Amino acid sequence: MSSNTITKGLRDNRRSTMVWTAAISAVGGLYSALWPTIDGPGFQQAIDSYPEGLLEALNYQDIATPAGYLTSSVYGLIAAVLMLIYASSAGARCIAGDEQAGTLDLIAAHPITRTQLGLQRFGAAALNTILTSVFFFTVMIALRSPAQLTEISVTDFAAMHLHLTLFALMFGAIAYAAGAATGSRGLALAAGAIVAVLGYLANGLLPMVDGLESVNELSPFNWLVGGQPLHNGAQISGLITMTVITGLLLAAGTWAFNQRDLTV
Amino acid sequence: MGAELAIHTQALTKTYGDTVAVDGLDLEVPQGLVYGFLGPNGSGKSTAIRIMLDLIRPTSGTATVLGLNPRNNPVALRRRLGYLPGDFTVDGRQTSLELLTYLADLRGGIQARRINVLADQLSLDLHRPIRNLSRGNRQKVGLIQAVMHEPELLILDEPTSGLDPLLQHEFAAMMRQVASEGRTAFVSSHVMGEVQQIADNVAIIRDGRIATVGHVKELRRQSTRTVTAQLNGPGQREDFADLPGVTNLRIVDGQLTCRLTGPPDQLIKALASYEVASLTIDEPDLEELLFQYYEPSDSHD
Repeated sequence: MSSNTITKGLRDNRRSTMVWTAAISAVGGLYSALWPTIDGPGFQQAIDSYPEGLLEALNYQDIATPAGYLTSSVYGLIAAVLMLIYASSAGARCIAGDEQAGTLDLIAAHPITRTQLGLQRFGAAALNTILTSVFFFTVMIALRSPAQLTEISVTDFAAMHLHLTLFALMFGAIAYAAGAATGSRGLALAAGAIVAVLGYLANGLLPMVDGLESVNELSPFNWLVGGQPLHNGAQISGLITMTVITGLLLAAGTWAFNQRDLTV
Repeated sequence: MGAELAIHTQALTKTYGDTVAVDGLDLEVPQGLVYGFLGPNGSGKSTAIRIMLDLIRPTSGTATVLGLNPRNNPVALRRRLGYLPGDFTVDGRQTSLELLTYLADLRGGIQARRINVLADQLSLDLHRPIRNLSRGNRQKVGLIQAVMHEPELLILDEPTSGLDPLLQHEFAAMMRQVASEGRTAFVSSHVMGEVQQIADNVAIIRDGRIATVGHVKELRRQSTRTVTAQLNGPGQREDFADLPGVTNLRIVDGQLTCRLTGPPDQLIKALASYEVASLTIDEPDLEELLFQYYEPSDSHD
């Protein structure tokens, strides 16, 4: 009985999941496929001519290796952004989206606690996010040899996708919690976007300001790619940080959802 | 448990900032009746109902539904309830069958046959996406989900809005069935005519407070209506002016109009001495009824 809301969530969102999965995998795959054309002495020289500060701000220090290239262009940027947008909107939909659409009242009037309702819906959103990341992973593994990325081990790819998944789930939890607490889909999405923008700045530009050198340690992007999982495998501290934050947000959001009135 | 009230609220109050939506509502709904909850739009009907389901929480006062406090026992209570929201909105991409199956699963499963029987009874196509359904057909989906598990108590917020007269008739039959099985239906409406067809008793709410409680028949009997009669030939004013309950009398070109409170007997008898071409007695207007019962709020106890 408890699985119904999860199944329903998977079913109701199957189209959007497929579209997002295809888009994220296509973009990631495209960047990977470009690697053989970029890799060469000319690229390294071009990079060397950039000012050090700019490279740091863009996190491009290591860009002439496959791991560095994929980290800067895909996992630390485009795939990360797409995944966090996808997961935030899924997290916002769990409660606030349906509440604003007016469809939550009916479900919430059934014999299900708000805790079950909220967490099962997040569970469905989380499963969709995991599926997206896993599919994306298989695309990258399939491209690994043809795109001359064999320097990166399959294990390190897997570690990178574990980081990416938890990163996305954390953003899903931010939007879930903000939406659960307020009932506003706009606020839920805004919360995700604000954290994303601040986190991105904190990982690139802000550490260059005197006195803010270590602010990057507070950035989700640092937890995602700071330890270079494509080089060094899974980074336990980042994974734990993102897992703990996700758990706390789910607990806080669900608690707030239980306290308040549902809006019509 | 038999003597228990289906719904009992005491000084139930809900405020939103300075706005008082429900203002000390005292309501006693006995079991085994169809009970009308009548009031104009914005009078606090939906707010009171949503408190009963623990969708919102009261500012003060208590609500007891089927002997349970919604705040403390929401799941146990909702298991025994059927609820139709005032604005039945669902994701339109799914079919009625998908939605009803999911909602049935939330209740621990309901025989699929039961859904089919109800769909046949209301002539609803279960296999079309809900977004392609008319407003009336959507309302049928809402009704089916509220009644399909045969709950002890139905809480229906404006159930007949959007239903055509044929379906209103079907709905009235469903409600009579509910009451005959000893179950309770609590039905809100802002239209007196809808409630009087189905309800035995009615509570009239205005500005978040109970204005009056009574039997539907009694309320109708005491209410004021407009009477219009077309006479062949001129009417004599003095034949009607002093009749009991008649006010605002006008006779122009043989057309008589007046306001009538109470039984029409005397008026009909006075009219009988004329040749009457047509006669209409309007349904009592809810707003006027409310006005009547609301004005000196403690003189009608």
